[in-house]
Amino acid sequence: MPLGFIETAPTKIASKLEIEKPADEDVIVQMPTDLDEDHTFGEQWFVVTSQRVLLIPRQGANGTVATPLSDVAFVRVDDLVGGGLIEIEKKDGTPVFIPFSQSLRPKFAEVAEGLKRLAEGESDKLELPTELDRTRCESCNRLLPEKNGTCPVCIEKWETFWRIVGYMTAYRGEVAVMLSLTVVGSLLGLVPPKVTQHIIDDVLTPSAGFRPLVWAVGALLGVRISIWCVDVSRRYIARRLGLKAIQDLREDLYRHFQFLPIRFYDRRRLGSLIARMTNDSDRLEGLMLYELSFVLSNGILFFGILGLLLWTNWSLTLYVLLPIPPIVYAGSRIWERMMRNWNLWGARWSKLYAQLNESITGIRVVKAFSQEAREGKRFDGHNEGVREVTVIGERNWFVFFTVTNFLMSCGAFFVWYFGGLKILENEMTLGALTAFVSYLWMMYQPLRWFGDFYNFMMRAFAGAKRIFEVIDSQAEPYEVAGAEELKEMEGRITFEDAYFGYDPGKPVLKAIRLDVEPGEMIGLVGKSGAGKSTLINLICRFYDPDRGAVRVDGRDMREITLRSLRSRIGMVQQEPFLFDGTVAENIAYGKPDATFDDVIRAAVAAEAHEFIVKKPDGYDMKVGERGGKLSGGEKQRISIARAILHDPKILILDEATSSLDTQTERKIQLAISRLVEGRTTFAIAHRLSTLRSANRLVVVDEGRVAEVGSHEELIERQGIFYRLVKTQQETTAVMEVAG
Amino acid sequence: MLDVEIEDTEASAGPEDDPTWKPTPIEVVHPKKVDPADILLLREPEWKLRMTIEGDRSYIRVKVARAAPLTEPDRYICFLDIKDDAICIVKELDELREENRKIVLEELEKRYLTSYVERINHLRNEYGVSYWDVDTDRGQREFVAKNVAENAQWLGEGRLFLVDVDGNRFEIPNVQALDRRSQSFIELVL
Repeated sequence: MPLGFIETAPTKIASKLEIEKPADEDVIVQMPTDLDEDHTFGEQWFVVTSQRVLLIPRQGANGTVATPLSDVAFVRVDDLVGGGLIEIEKKDGTPVFIPFSQSLRPKFAEVAEGLKRLAEGESDKLELPTELDRTRCESCNRLLPEKNGTCPVCIEKWETFWRIVGYMTAYRGEVAVMLSLTVVGSLLGLVPPKVTQHIIDDVLTPSAGFRPLVWAVGALLGVRISIWCVDVSRRYIARRLGLKAIQDLREDLYRHFQFLPIRFYDRRRLGSLIARMTNDSDRLEGLMLYELSFVLSNGILFFGILGLLLWTNWSLTLYVLLPIPPIVYAGSRIWERMMRNWNLWGARWSKLYAQLNESITGIRVVKAFSQEAREGKRFDGHNEGVREVTVIGERNWFVFFTVTNFLMSCGAFFVWYFGGLKILENEMTLGALTAFVSYLWMMYQPLRWFGDFYNFMMRAFAGAKRIFEVIDSQAEPYEVAGAEELKEMEGRITFEDAYFGYDPGKPVLKAIRLDVEPGEMIGLVGKSGAGKSTLINLICRFYDPDRGAVRVDGRDMREITLRSLRSRIGMVQQEPFLFDGTVAENIAYGKPDATFDDVIRAAVAAEAHEFIVKKPDGYDMKVGERGGKLSGGEKQRISIARAILHDPKILILDEATSSLDTQTERKIQLAISRLVEGRTTFAIAHRLSTLRSANRLVVVDEGRVAEVGSHEELIERQGIFYRLVKTQQETTAVMEVAG
Repeated sequence: MLDVEIEDTEASAGPEDDPTWKPTPIEVVHPKKVDPADILLLREPEWKLRMTIEGDRSYIRVKVARAAPLTEPDRYICFLDIKDDAICIVKELDELREENRKIVLEELEKRYLTSYVERINHLRNEYGVSYWDVDTDRGQREFVAKNVAENAQWLGEGRLFLVDVDGNRFEIPNVQALDRRSQSFIELVL
């Protein structure tokens, strides 16, 4: 992967740089911006050497600004809308401003962050990441639609095609049988016109008698029956094969959905992901089931007939071929339009799905604000969009069909006319002409159908692309070479100068240093958005730190297999997610082989047993989708039982006791106090009083660890925590007065 | 100045069946009520914007932002302090003093990097990804957008707003005002 921080500068820039910097200074960063100082598109070259920062205006312009690094007082990135601005503040004098568009943000933000750390004395040389995202295709240099993604132009259609075919190669036997049946069936298809020719020329015209007629018609019937038998078996095998292959593909897709990192889901809409599973795989199914075997058999038929016609009468065949160029021309004109239309079709459908998903998930909000009618209208809009684009698609196809069909019939007119002339001149027999016309229509049949095939195939390809996009996305590194299984875990968690941001250059966590003893309970405190949940995401390794490390028992998390790490982490969330199944199944979710005794023991420890046995079906009660048939407190206790049974070494309580009434909360507190025993626990709670049992409290503020200490110590210090507690007490007091 | 007291502006939000229905007014104390005529903007030094509310206080490093950059680009102007907290909001630019208005416009110009497309030189669409080559008020630029049909926003009759894969913003103020060729490119993708 190219480093990207040093780019080749044009000669004029390079020579300017030569003048400005001593020869012995190493260039660390040398790259162009894409905005001029007046924010129009243009290049300025930004160079950082071991001693200074330079900004060289675009070719020809004068006014290079060089700032010795020792003069840099402060570096900040100002977020503009659609870009950014690096401001290098000097110890005295006008600061240097470097504007860039959003496209260059990843690079410039990294450099700015490095310079900032340098200026603040946090590092002694400019540190830059060793890898940058790939934004352009390596072979054609086109901008990529997705960072590090595949270039849709360079991925050939054939490649997609072979990948689809690849799913069938697992069933080689069936493929071989299907192929041979196809060849046999197609060749048999060529026989009937020849038999009719024989009937007309050798039986009927010379009045050869009754027996030859019976023989000939019998032969015709026999050929038809064998064609029919071959065709039925071919279709049967083709479907079976296609269905198996599509099943494999769907399995593949689903597995990938499960193993993709959380990052993949951050910016995608649920509905459009589901559409890949349903719509797109449906289309592929159609392609595999019907189209592939059809294109094969019709291809053979087409070329077989063409050869036969040329052999029978080559001059007449030329008339048959005459309409083909205009057909190809008309087809290619309409084709682009059809493809665009099908892309739009997919987009509209996924919009419809997305809205359906949204309005049904949020049905309570819709009803509470009595917006059913408006949601209905919104749906109508999307529905209309789908209809509209489908109609346009159908119309395009209809136009294509009609035009090509007309052009093809022209071929038949030519043949009747010129073939008729040949008969009149006794150069051709009536039977030969009849056979010729039959072949002609048989040849046109697949040709006409090719238009449909192409259209359908492109639709399926577009769907395949979307499916392969998921399959090609990097899965979480569950099995990395060199990563070790974690056999025993003590539960020590160490953050070593960890930096992390969801977007490059916008760190959410900065220089986190924290050492948590095995079995210790840590309360995470801070304003919302301070970085508490992000900290937890790093512990679960949903994300890796950008810099620094998170260690478990002194070992970098990246050196441990994900499976062995996560199997020792338990989580109780604010809104526990239960799966549609029984209470017992949900409790045993993390440990499916648990005995029923274990399940009950966990439920008792979680204070859940009591309410469970009160239910008519007890542990066999179905909880409904997302646990909809249980109350919040009940779901919470089941999720605690789930965590207890899972027996993790590291436990995460994410607002586990908020939004519950006091009595339920007391029970849950009791359950939690049993759960945390002997486990390293990280608890986030807004109600600070619930964190009294924590060994230490960690106050996170603007992505940094601001204060660490026990409840009493922090109160004594009168810092951020003290103020938070104060505010909360006041709020509670106000609420009590008001209530 | 925008009166932050939320009043029944168009008497529209209420249930349709009761024409006399009025929403309960809610008094909002923040952002503070500031008379726009009391606002004084200064560039001091040249690269820092300083704001003084006469008779109240001063802020250094003030940012000027639009409350609704797409639907109300010229109204509802917000002033943010160094921590990006809102200081106040001005509904109409006219309410500001003459000399401040110029500064505000310059600041907005600097902050919003939306490019206004004047001509489309080339546009290709493949697999729902479109490759654009456009002339804008900031100069020529190439960009890639995904699912334009799905993601482009119509902000009004003929006004099209696009965000490319990197997050750069492009706007076509009036599609109908573009030349024929550019318009046919647009028809290709929408």
